[in-house]
Amino acid sequence: MGTESEITVGFIGNPNCGKTTLFNVFTGANLKVANWPGVTVERVEGETSYKGRPIKLIDLPGIYSLTSYSIEEKVSRKCIMEEHIDVIVNVVDASSLERNLYLTLQLLEMGKPVILALNMMDIVEERGMEIDLHRLPELLGGIPVVPVSARKKTGLDVLLHAVIHHYEEGSKGSVVHYQKEIEDLIAQTEKKLETHYGKLVHKRWYAIKLLERDEEVLTYYPLGVLSKEIKYEKQIINQKYDYIEEIIEETLVNKDAKAQATDKIDHYLTHPILGVPIFLGIMAMVFFLTFTIGDFLKGYFEVGLEIFSKGALNILEKFGIAEWLISLIVDGIIAGVGGILTFLPNIFILFLALAFLEDSGYMARVAYIMDRIMSKLGLSGKAFLPMVLGFGCTVPAVMATRALEKEKDRKKTILVTPFMSCSARLPIYVLFADMFFEKYAIVVAYSLYLIGVFIAILIAMIVNKLEKQKEPQNTLLIELPEYKSPNARTIAIYVWEKVKDYLTKAGTTIFIASIILWFLLNYNIHGMTEDVAISFGAAIGRFLEPILRPAGLGMWQIGVALISGISAKEVVVSSFSVLFGVGNINSAAGMTELTQALAGYGFGALNAYALMIFCLLYTPCVATIATIKKETNSWKWTIGMIGFQLVFAWSVATLVYQIGRVIF
Amino acid sequence: MTLSEGKVGEIYTVLEVQMEQKNIVRRLEALGILEMTKIQVLNTKRGGAFIIKVRGTRLAVGKSIAQGIIIKEE
Repeated sequence: MGTESEITVGFIGNPNCGKTTLFNVFTGANLKVANWPGVTVERVEGETSYKGRPIKLIDLPGIYSLTSYSIEEKVSRKCIMEEHIDVIVNVVDASSLERNLYLTLQLLEMGKPVILALNMMDIVEERGMEIDLHRLPELLGGIPVVPVSARKKTGLDVLLHAVIHHYEEGSKGSVVHYQKEIEDLIAQTEKKLETHYGKLVHKRWYAIKLLERDEEVLTYYPLGVLSKEIKYEKQIINQKYDYIEEIIEETLVNKDAKAQATDKIDHYLTHPILGVPIFLGIMAMVFFLTFTIGDFLKGYFEVGLEIFSKGALNILEKFGIAEWLISLIVDGIIAGVGGILTFLPNIFILFLALAFLEDSGYMARVAYIMDRIMSKLGLSGKAFLPMVLGFGCTVPAVMATRALEKEKDRKKTILVTPFMSCSARLPIYVLFADMFFEKYAIVVAYSLYLIGVFIAILIAMIVNKLEKQKEPQNTLLIELPEYKSPNARTIAIYVWEKVKDYLTKAGTTIFIASIILWFLLNYNIHGMTEDVAISFGAAIGRFLEPILRPAGLGMWQIGVALISGISAKEVVVSSFSVLFGVGNINSAAGMTELTQALAGYGFGALNAYALMIFCLLYTPCVATIATIKKETNSWKWTIGMIGFQLVFAWSVATLVYQIGRVIF
Repeated sequence: MTLSEGKVGEIYTVLEVQMEQKNIVRRLEALGILEMTKIQVLNTKRGGAFIIKVRGTRLAVGKSIAQGIIIKEE
C-alpha cells in the first residue's frame, strides 16, 4: 500500500436505502435512522480506518438524482464536485435496484471512483429473487459491487478494501451510451467547453448537464452557442432508464415470481376503509402497552427509589450534614429527579413501540392512510408523520417537518405538532389520571391524546380556512418501503438514544429546576423559612392564582408548577413532589398523600382533568421553543405561537372546568 | 385518461406528466415516471390518493399528482 494519507469517502444513495444505518455501523455514531425519506438533511461526518489507513466518511442526504432542483441534491453535488471526495460509496437498496441504479448511472458520469454497496440483499432473498453479481459489475463498467448488510454487519471489510483499492485505480468512467444524436451533441458540447474554459476534469458530466439545461451548471458555464429552446433532459432520462431495464433484465433473476408479502399486508393496512381504524387501533395499542407494561415495571423503580431515598437520608444524618442541605438533597433533588426517573419504564415502552412502527416500514403508510384527512386541512399526508413523531418528542418532530416541500405547510405543521402529547407529558397524565380516576386512568390518559390530535386537526383546519387557498394541491409523494421484520440493533439504538435523552434531561434540566424550585420554596426576603406559604415561590404563584382560578387551577402551587414546567414538562410532576413534600410521588403511598393534600384545597378529579388539559396545550418546553425558533427563523412567529398556546390552553381548560362544574 | 381513473390491479403506460409544479414533474422523472413508463395501480382510497408500483418501487401519490399523470391502458 502506498501512502497512508486519509481517503475521503462520500456515502450517497436514495432516501431510505439503509445508508445511514451503514454509516452508523462504520463510525459507531448513533445517528437517527428512520424508515422514511428525508431524514438526513444536514451533512454528517465520521471517521474509520482500514488496516491502519484513515478514512473519513461523509454521509450525504438521500437523493434520487443529481439535478439541481432541491437543496439536498445541490448539497450532495457540491460536496462531490468541490470538496475532494476521493471515492463515492453508492449505497443501493438491492430490493429496488431499478430505481436506485438511476442515481448510480449519474454518479458514474461524474467521473469519480464509484463503489456500489448492495444493501438489503436479505430482502431480495426473502422474496425469492437473485442478483447476478458477476454480470452486474460488468454492466456498470467494472466498478466494485459489494453486497453488504448493515443489519447483519457483513461485507463491511470488503467494502473498505474496495474503497482503498478502487481509490488507487481511479474512475471507470460512464457506462451509458446514448443514441447517436445525443452522443454527438455531448461531443460537441465537450469541445465547446474546452475552447471556452480550458481543460475541465469532468467535462462529460458538465456537457450532459448542459444538454439537460441544468440551471446551476448553466450559470457556471453559460454556453450561449447551444440552442436555448431544445432541452434533451427527457431523452437523457429515458435512455438512462432504457439502460437500467437492460441491466435488470440481465441481472435480476426471478423478479416478481413470488407473490409478495408486502402486497398482502398492504391489502389490509392500507385498505380504503379499514386503513384508518387499523391505524387508530395500532396507536391505541401503543398507548395501552405504554401504560400497562410501563406501570408494571414502574413498581420496581419505586421500590428502588424508596430504598435510595431512605438510605441517603440516613447517611446524611449520620454525617451530621446541615439540615438545610439534607432538605435540599432529599426533598429537592431526590424527590424532583427521582420522581421523574420512575416514569422511565413508560417512556421506554412508548419509544420501543414507535421504533417498531418506524423500522417495520409502517410509518410511511400512515402518510397515505391519513392523506384524505390531511388534505382537508390543506396539507399532504406526509405532514402527519412529524405529528406522529410528536408523540415521542416535539423537538425531533419539529425538525422532521423539513421533509415537507412547501414552507407554508411546514409552518402549519410546526404550529400543530406541539399539541401531540409528547412523552414528557406522559408522567403528568400517568400521575394525575392514576390519582383521580383510578380504574378509568387509562381511558382518561387516552382521551388527552385524542384531544391533542383533535385540536391539532382543528387548528390546522382553521388556519387553512383563513388562508383561503383556491384549490388545495395535494401533492403527496412518498415511497413506501417493503415491510421488514424490525431489526433488534436499529431499535435498540433508537430506544437507547431516547432513554439516554430522558436520563440526561433528568440529570440536567430537571435537576437544576428542582434545585431552583427548592430554593424558591424554602426562602423568602428574610432568609430561610419553614413555611412554604410565605416563600418566594408562593409569592410568584399567588400572582397567577386569580388568572388560573376560572380554569379550576386557582392554587399558587399550580402556578409555580406550570411555570417550572416550561423548563421541561416533566418538571410539573417534580414540582408537585417538591411543593407538597411528597418523597415518592409515583408510588401508591405518594399518590394517596398528594391526593389528600390536594383535596384539602378542594382540588378534585375535574380540577385534575383541567390541569392535564392545560399541560397538554400550553407552551411546550424551552427546547421546543428553541427548535421552533431555529426552524422558522423568526422570533416574531415563535413568540406569537407561545402567546397563542398560553391563551388557548387557558381557554380550553376554563371551558372544560366550567362545563364540567355544571354537569357534575 | 389520467391515473385518477386507474383501476386497482391494472397496469398502464404513462403518456405524459402534466403538472403546473415543475419541481414535482422532476421528482417524478427522477423516480422514473415519464413517458412510456409502466405503472401498476396497487391501491386507492377516497380522497384520490393512489399506491402505485413503478419500476419495482411502491409509491403513494396524492390526488393532484394522480390527476396529472396521463395514462393509457396496456
